[in-house]
Amino acid sequence: MGEVKLFFGPNHPGMHGNFSVHLYVEGDTVVKAKPLPGFLHRGFEKLMERRTWFQNVALIPRICVPEPDINEVCYSMAIEKIAKIDVPERAQWIRMIVLELARIANHLWSFAGIGGPLGLYTGPFWGVADRDRILDIFEQLTGARIYHMYIIPGGVRKEMPSKIQDMISQTLDYIESRLPDYENLILRNRIVQTRLKGIALLDRESALTMGVTGIGLRATGVPYDLRKVDPYLYYNYVDFEVPTATEGDAYSRIKLKYLEIKQSIRIIRQVLEKMPEGPINTKFSDGNALRYRVPKGYAYVHVEATRGEYGYFVVSNGEDKPYRVTVRGASYPQGLYGIEKYLPGTRIEDVPIWLDTMGVCAPEIDR
Amino acid sequence: MMNSMNDLLEELKKLFGNFEVQEIDEREVKIDVESDKVVGILTTLKSKGYSHLSLLTCVDWINENKFELIYILYSWQNGCKFIVATWIERKNPKFVTVMNLWPVARFYEREIHEFFGVEFEGNDDMKPLILELWDDIPPLRKDFDPLEYSKKKFPGRQYDKDVIQEALIFRGDKNG
Repeated sequence: MGEVKLFFGPNHPGMHGNFSVHLYVEGDTVVKAKPLPGFLHRGFEKLMERRTWFQNVALIPRICVPEPDINEVCYSMAIEKIAKIDVPERAQWIRMIVLELARIANHLWSFAGIGGPLGLYTGPFWGVADRDRILDIFEQLTGARIYHMYIIPGGVRKEMPSKIQDMISQTLDYIESRLPDYENLILRNRIVQTRLKGIALLDRESALTMGVTGIGLRATGVPYDLRKVDPYLYYNYVDFEVPTATEGDAYSRIKLKYLEIKQSIRIIRQVLEKMPEGPINTKFSDGNALRYRVPKGYAYVHVEATRGEYGYFVVSNGEDKPYRVTVRGASYPQGLYGIEKYLPGTRIEDVPIWLDTMGVCAPEIDR
Repeated sequence: MMNSMNDLLEELKKLFGNFEVQEIDEREVKIDVESDKVVGILTTLKSKGYSHLSLLTCVDWINENKFELIYILYSWQNGCKFIVATWIERKNPKFVTVMNLWPVARFYEREIHEFFGVEFEGNDDMKPLILELWDDIPPLRKDFDPLEYSKKKFPGRQYDKDVIQEALIFRGDKNG
């Protein structure tokens, strides 16, 4: 049988956003794979150079669709680092709540995502419905469901509403009560186990050489998590564990996502207890935020997103606009190099499983 | 700056001569090195635990007529990062690849080639990665103006006057 060229994507149920892979297949086996990004290129890096520092706050959440808050945090932390701005303590704790809620929402969303390639359509219904409860919190807290524009340089935009703490606690209790259901539906499901165990393997050495971060790396037994290695915000003041697995297959990655939800719930509960009263932002722009100038300097800031290391490299030449901003998408290594190197040899139906469990996210690769 | 970083900097200076060091914060240092020493310094840093290539990017300094290539190396052991920067000429920009040190650099270099026009010797795959049928100068260069480009590429359509009148009447802005 000869080699056949098969187009995977740009639209596929197992894919976040539009991303295409050209597969060369013989029978069912992939012989060669070529990633083809670019369907979601919107030129953010160029757009940011043409807008003022504060106008960009409204632009950046759009870079990564499933988890927009990490962009706001990275951008704000980079400006604070260059301009040496002190952020009030309360604002940092609020940022942690937002980040961890976003992490839970994104993991629930990825339970929905795995339903596509597996044909397990209860996952999408449950995952999306439970994620909506977290979006309700975001709506109360920030006024928007997906793109919040809540975290700004110097702190957060406004004070938390008075009853939001109860709402967060109730939602966390609810999600915690739902976790056994997810375990039964996905992790202990015999079909899922047979389908995912030993599939889309990645060993430790390859993961480290490739520069894979996040769950893809932790599934190979390496406990590297930026929240522990290089604590930003107040992650060094809360207790949490970094779940790891040693199998390095698709099943262990899904399992880690499930375990991380528990840790995020634990973090948010501690934050709600420890959060002090006080101001929520620093005014540093002398009244006119749009004319604010960041002093000359360079900074690279990265945070642990659900898919791995997500970073912003910001260069300022002292003007009212950023001179250059580069976004390091968390799935850049596994989404481009990983596809080319590790898909050959797998079967066609395992391709979406690699893409989904490694968290290949098209909007952050294209930018 | 952390002690381990200081020691490493001293060692690098012994091996490769003096270079400019800029401390950004306790765990982040930017070093400006000459372009022929970059690969040596990167190899040394990689062998000392800074084995994770976080980012490879480029900055266009149009007034100085130079490109600045940026390599960000991260150490998972102590959470420190080195920003290694080097300056290359803006006219016919060329540099060597670091694909043999970090295979993923191949895609970063491909992207820089596409958006800045920098050639990387030794990288065999320099096909466009993200843009399709691009017909202008590399777009992240500072002398590229996206507004001008889109005006040229997608010129405003000329409408008949009657069509505009009709549209105004249809929208209710004007009585017909």
